[in-house]
Amino acid sequence: MQLKNTLTRYGALAQLFHWVIVVLIITQFVLALRAEGLSPIKKIGVLGTHKSIGITILVLAVLRLAWRLFNPVPPQPRGIPRWQELAAHVSHFLLYALLFITPMLGWLMSSARAFSVSWFGLVQLPDLIEPNRATFERLKDWHEAMAFTLAAIAVLHLAAALKHHFFDRDDVLRRMLPVPERGPHS
Amino acid sequence: MRMHQQLRYLLVLVLVCGSVALAANQWTVQPKESKLTFVATQQGAEFTGTFERFTADIKFDPQDLAGSHFDVKVETASATTRDNDRDETLKSDDFFAVKQYPTGHYVTSQFTAKGGNKFTATGKLTVRNVTRDVPLEFTFENKNGSAWLKGSAQLKRLDFGVGQGEWQDTEQVGNEVKINFVLLLKP
Repeated sequence: MQLKNTLTRYGALAQLFHWVIVVLIITQFVLALRAEGLSPIKKIGVLGTHKSIGITILVLAVLRLAWRLFNPVPPQPRGIPRWQELAAHVSHFLLYALLFITPMLGWLMSSARAFSVSWFGLVQLPDLIEPNRATFERLKDWHEAMAFTLAAIAVLHLAAALKHHFFDRDDVLRRMLPVPERGPHS
Repeated sequence: MRMHQQLRYLLVLVLVCGSVALAANQWTVQPKESKLTFVATQQGAEFTGTFERFTADIKFDPQDLAGSHFDVKVETASATTRDNDRDETLKSDDFFAVKQYPTGHYVTSQFTAKGGNKFTATGKLTVRNVTRDVPLEFTFENKNGSAWLKGSAQLKRLDFGVGQGEWQDTEQVGNEVKINFVLLLKP
């Protein structure tokens, strides 16, 4: 499989970005939901990892978008309805936007509580705003709302991919996987 | 009469020498300009705390290190870290236990000149009724009668039992704590 995208499929790097971010986002939900019931120190640990992974996602999103700008993605399969094409574009745009917005809100909310973000204990990020409890609460609500919006759109995205794979029997899902295409008339 | 006069001379001499010695050494801390802070880490990220209330009895003269002496009392409940929950945790029995141990106490025992305006001190810090040697490094700048005393100390919180139970985990809350101080002194 080649590194760059082709006219029919995503290249190795684009696939790597996609699936690594998928795994990291699922991890983020597991960590954030688990943190709720923990003792304070365990919570600090779990949320510390959550913050580190969040910054990782933010950096990967930047790299992924940069890679995408220099490396056009394969076009949508021919013959799909206009509304589906539009829906795909809108959901992809929103997913990208949320990959930036959600971690940024997390970084802001950490700043708002004077709990600075450290990337795996190696790099400490600067606080973005002055600590303020009310601001923190608002940012927390937004962070959570954006995370669940991201999850909801990702589920739609997955449903669409599965529909293409099992009902339309096209290569939309396969082209994001390290497996060969079905060929034109399978 | 002669006897009286001699006694009076002696008295004046003692008073003058005594007050000169005191004047050279004894400083008053200016609370507005002075700061006592600490830097600790949480999940690898530093955070800064401030002790809002402390008193410092500072006798210091670079020419008379043997006669110099610091005696600092810190109100443990006055620690703020810009987050209420964290401040409450610090006050709790697991950390400063402010009800049983309302005061942290630092007393110097010896000073050493390190050249220029740099000095080190040895001394004992008592927190939570545990006393340990904690050395200080500081600079002393005397300008127009007032002086800036700026320095730091490094200690391990667990040496003093600051962090009980699961808070002894140093992976999430670092053991190393840095103390920084900036004191404006006036005679």
